Parts: sequence; C-alpha cells; structure tokens
Amino acid sequence: MDNGDNVPALEFAGLVKRFGDNVAVDHVDLTVPAGSFFGLVGPNGAGKTTSLSMAVGLLRPDGGTVRIFGRDVWADPVAAKALIGVLPDGMALPDRLSGREVLLYLGLLRGMPREVVAERADELLQVLELDGAEGTAVVDYSTGMRKKITLATALLHNPRLLLLDEPFEAVDPVSAATVRTILRRFVARGGSVIFSSHVMALVERLCDHVAVIAKGTVVASGPLDEVRGGQPLEDAFVDIVGARTGGAEGLTWLAS
Amino acid sequence: MAGVLIEMRGAILRRSVSYHGASGSRGRLIGGLLLALFVTLLAVGTLLAGLVHYHYPGAGAAVVATLSFGWLLGWVTGPLLTGDDATLRMDYFKLLPIPARKLAFAMLGAAFANISLVFSLIAFAALIALGAQSGAAAALTGVAATLLNLVLAVVASTVSIAVFGPAISSRRGRDFGTFVLALVITLLSLASGLVPFVAKRLTGGHSPALTAVVKILPSGWGAVAVDAAGRSDWGLAGLALGGLVVLIGVLVLAWPPLLTRRLTMSTRGGGGRAGHARREREPILPSTPLGAVIGKELRMYSRSVLRSVMLMIAFLVGVLAAVIPAFSGKTTGLPFAGLLFTVIAAACFTNFYGDDGTSLWLTLVTPGAARPDVRGRVWAWFLVTGPAGFLLTVVLTAASGQTWSWPWVLAAEPALVIGAAGLLALIGVRSVNGPAPDGGPAPARVLKTHLALVALPIVTVAPAAALLAAGTATHDVALRWLAVPVGLAWGGYLCWRSVRLAQQRLESQGPEIFARARASVS
Repeated sequence: MDNGDNVPALEFAGLVKRFGDNVAVDHVDLTVPAGSFFGLVGPNGAGKTTSLSMAVGLLRPDGGTVRIFGRDVWADPVAAKALIGVLPDGMALPDRLSGREVLLYLGLLRGMPREVVAERADELLQVLELDGAEGTAVVDYSTGMRKKITLATALLHNPRLLLLDEPFEAVDPVSAATVRTILRRFVARGGSVIFSSHVMALVERLCDHVAVIAKGTVVASGPLDEVRGGQPLEDAFVDIVGARTGGAEGLTWLAS
Repeated sequence: MAGVLIEMRGAILRRSVSYHGASGSRGRLIGGLLLALFVTLLAVGTLLAGLVHYHYPGAGAAVVATLSFGWLLGWVTGPLLTGDDATLRMDYFKLLPIPARKLAFAMLGAAFANISLVFSLIAFAALIALGAQSGAAAALTGVAATLLNLVLAVVASTVSIAVFGPAISSRRGRDFGTFVLALVITLLSLASGLVPFVAKRLTGGHSPALTAVVKILPSGWGAVAVDAAGRSDWGLAGLALGGLVVLIGVLVLAWPPLLTRRLTMSTRGGGGRAGHARREREPILPSTPLGAVIGKELRMYSRSVLRSVMLMIAFLVGVLAAVIPAFSGKTTGLPFAGLLFTVIAAACFTNFYGDDGTSLWLTLVTPGAARPDVRGRVWAWFLVTGPAGFLLTVVLTAASGQTWSWPWVLAAEPALVIGAAGLLALIGVRSVNGPAPDGGPAPARVLKTHLALVALPIVTVAPAAALLAAGTATHDVALRWLAVPVGLAWGGYLCWRSVRLAQQRLESQGPEIFARARASVS
C-alpha cells in the first residue's frame, strides 16, 4: 500500500448503521487527511461514537466501507488494525491489573518484545503521571486516570492513526495539557489524530481539520477555517446544526 | 418526616414493581414468590422449633437461641448482600438541609415499614411458643422477648448499613457483598449435612461450649429470658430482657453520628494493591501473545473477588459434600470430590466474555488477538482448576480406601477437566450474558451455569462412562481400565475442536459478541 501523503489516514464511504428503526449513521462520507489533527464535533446522539466504533472494528456497519491508510477495516482487519491506536469512551479494562500490567499485557498481545514494552510502559506511565499509582489496580483509578491509561494503551505500539473518543473528558487541566502536548508532538512527527469532543474551544485550539456530524450525517467538513467561516467554532456549530439555544424563557422566580 | 420517607419508599417500590411488570419480567415475579414461600417456610419452621419439647433441660432455649441468631444475622448482613437500601438511598439526602438527628430518627422509623418484619414476627414467636411450654408467665416473657428481638433486628440492620454502607457502595465493596453472599449460599447448600449435626449436639447436651456461645450472644438473650422465666428465675429473665433494651438503646444513640459520617464521607473504595513489585520478577510465562493472555487471566483469577469466590464455592461444595458424610463413615463419595469440584468450577466459568463486559474491546482492536485470547483463557482455567481437581481426586480416592473407584475417577477426571476447558471457550463465545444493570449476574447467566452443571459432565464423560458401565456389568477389568485412555482422548478431542470453533467465532463475530457483552451495561 501507498505510504504517501495522498492516501487518507481514514476514509468513510457511504457508511450506514441502523439500530432498529433508528438510523444512527446515515451514509457518512468523510476523509481524514494523513498528518491531520481532525476534530469530530456534534450534538449528543449525533453518531460520533457509532462512526468511530465502526472505524476501529467494534461495531459492524450495515453498509459502506471504512479504510485506514487504504486498508479496508472490515475486509482486511489485521492490516488496518495494526495501524491504529484506539481510546474508546467508557469501556472497561482488565481492571484488576495495575496500569503497568495492562500495558505489558497489551504490548505482548501485539507481539512486541518484552523489553521494548517494558521501556515504553515506563515512559508512558511517567509522562502521563501514572507512575505514582504504580501498585494501584485499574479498578481503583479515577475516571481521569482511566482515560490516561487507555490513552497509553493506544500509544504503546506507535500507531500511525489515533482514534480518540472524548479523550479529554474528566481529565484534570494539568493532565489535559500533557495529553495535548503528546498529541501535538505525535502529529508534528507525521502521525494522524481524529478525536471527538463536545468542547469547541478545545477543537479550535488543537485541530487543523474539523467535521460536524448531526443526526447521523456529516453536515460540514474540511479545514478548520473553512468550516467556521470567520466566526468562533461554537457559533458556527450552532448555525450549522441549526440548533436553538434555550434557557431564556420561564424561571422568573429564580434569584428574584 | 418518617411518614414522608415511608411514602417515598412505597412510591419507589410501586414504580419498580410496575416497571418489571411492564417489561414482562415474570421470572422476577416468580422468583420473588418463591423467595417469599421459602422465607415463610423458614419462619414457620422456626416457630415450630419453639414448640418441640426436648428431654435435655435447656435444649429448647439453645435451639431457639441458635435460630434467632440466624434471623438476626440475616437482618444485619442483608444490606451487605443487597447493597445500600435501594429504595431510600442515603445519597438522596446528602444535600438536604435536614439536621442529622432528625433524619436519622426518621429513617429509623421508616425502616420499621418493612414487609420482612412479618416473617421475622412469625419466626421470633418461637420464643412465645417456647415460653408457653412452661406456663403463662414464661409465655408473656416470650411476647416481650419477641418484640425486643424485632426492634433489635430493625435497628441493627439500619446501623449496619451505616457501618458497611460506604464499603458496599463502592465497586470493591460489591465484591465483599458477593463474597458474603457466596459464603451464605455455600453454607445453606451444606446445611442439610450440618444442621442435624449441630442440632444433635445442642439437644443432647453434648456441647456445653456451643450452647453457652449461642446463649451469650445478644441473639440468645430472648431465649435465655424465656428459659429463666420458665424456671421462675426472674432475676436472670429481667437481666436478659434489660440487656436487650440497653443494646437497642445504645444502637439507637449510635445511629445519628454514624449516619452523619455516612452522609459526609466519600464512597470510593480503598486503595487496593496490584502488582506490588516495581521491578518485576523474571517472567515465568513466555513473552508471547499467548503467554500475555495466560498471565493476565491468572492475575484476574487471583485478584478478582468474583472469580475467587466461584472457585471457593466449587472447592467448598466439592470437598465438603464428600467429606461431611465421611464423618459418619460413608466414604463412597470421597473419590468423587475432585470431579464435583471440577464440574462446579467449569459451570461457573461458562461466561468468559460476558463476565469481562466491555473490556473485550482491547482484543477486538488488536490485530490477530482472537486466537491467543481464546487459547490463553482455556489454558489459564486449566492451570487453575486442573491440578487442584486431579490432586483432590487422587488424594481422597486413596484416603477413602474405595479401590473399585480408581478406573472411574481416573477416566472421568481428565476427560472432564480437559474437555470442559475447551467447551468453556465455545460456550463463552456462543452464549454471552452481560452483567445485570446492578452489576450482578444476569438471570440468564445463572440459568446457563445450572444447565452447564448437568451438561458438561454428560458430554465430557459419556464415552468413558459407557465403557465403565459395560466393564462393571460384564465384570471385565480391562474394559474398565480402557475407559482411562478413551476418556483422555475424548476430552482432548473435545478441547481441540471447541477451541478451534470458539476462535473462529470470535474472529468472525467479534463485534456481535462485544455488543452482547455490553448489552446490559448502562
């Protein structure tokens, strides 16, 4: 396969997923250019997590294809999955293991040499400030710590594309800054990142590309400046998804 | 305020009943009715025990004291088993500007609006029955003791929520609850062997120490009072009843401060340790994907309370069911303890993927991980249960002196443990039961375990058993011993075939298995 820049890191073509009568993802076409820092934004229930799940092999699509650097995730899963690191939202880990043991388990499961895994695990735990919780089982981690150890599992095998579902949720500001720096370095060295988020300011700060998903379809996609059209992303987002911001009516008794 | 809380509890109960009714959960309703029937039988049984007359003086009081201990234990450990009171969760009241004392007494009052009191009233009425054997005064003392026991039950139960509540609201605390529940179920299942044994010692006056213990515990004070009243020992009767009143008073006074502590503390579990050593030891397992899965699984077996408890149940039931009859000289069962242990240990682990919940995502996003994952789980289960089952079988068969059983157990145990190891993987991918919304095992998972208890030994041991039966019927020793290699070969074939099928299914149906494993996870 081509390793050149013209092969997209991730490509959805006509992706469809239905749950009963509800069409969660409705013919989504989306291209994440290689080397981009790509933000996926949308209201709750828009289909972000469903799309990302289909991209990493956790949810079988009802139609369409997903390619990772040209490899079809569902036709050639081994080749495609070797290229990605995944941080899903709210999924369990083998929670009686310590952070280091989780990393060692996953590294060996991927066929990496023990010494390499041990060395990288050391560094990841240190950089993500999890080395203080050396003997703590993941079951006793806070939500933020779980995010960080899951991010470490995504980075461990040095993937080419990171797919991150809400990576900053519940992460404290200092750790969030660390994670941002790691991700920026990853992209600067040629890696690609796609992440979903509710926080527009964050997407604006980090991403060079952005896609807006609403009701299972991509309503806008492209370079950040193009999508926001000269206004803050938050305003652009509300315009694009056609949402009405409430809160101005009723409640006259409040703080009166 | 107690009235408001009782109303609230009633509303929540009605809602949950109509919810379950709407979702068509008849199984839950039938389960509830069966439980009610079971508890009624227990209560009536306790009451009847109060009517029995024993020749040995004081035996009746010892029996009633023991049974009261059982009921009070149920009240105190109940919250541990079911978690925090699901209807009036303390968390609801954390932010309300209500003085702790007022809230505490209101909650205590609301705790008396509990249907379980009816059953306990029937059971504790055994004290009245016991007293009636010695006359009206003792019967009246029995009435007072019954009422005091009921109050003690409710107060002690409420206080135990405050003491254990923080622990049982955390993930690790639920482990503790699981542990206690497993212990209770195991003891109940062995009760048929133990109860006659204990009863005989109590009623025959063989064990003064046991009798003294059940009477000295607060649960025995009511029985002591009734017994003393029967002998017109009014001093002791008054002391025992007064003791109950004082104990209740102490618990009531301790309750508000305990509630305050409960409402203001965090419910996060304490720091459990894992992987103590900073520098790891020289690895024993190979540094391969298969070695990684076996290592992870072995750690989960030793650290997950759910898994340890299932192994403990298998071991206790397997061993005690064979050993208890041996006390009375019946050693026929001893050679089969290892088999029983292995069957239970297998049936408990028929839900590999469902029990792990959403952590299957790691296997699915890792290329080529399905094969080592299935094989590693099978190996780990075999390493945990195989040697233990084999050792139990050999040691207890040798100890029993039942030499006829050697070909039976040596044919059956390897066939069972090797065959089941593979079948577990296949059942684990074919039938995936996610956890119930409260984190406990789903009813379908429990049903599957029961079916597996019957099906696994039949499937794995059938060919060897046929040869053993034929060999026994025809008095053919060679035919009986032929069952050993045949059992081994059949177990080996089952394992190889099932592992292959399981692996193919995980590779081709991974996302569907994942969807089912997370189905009930909210």
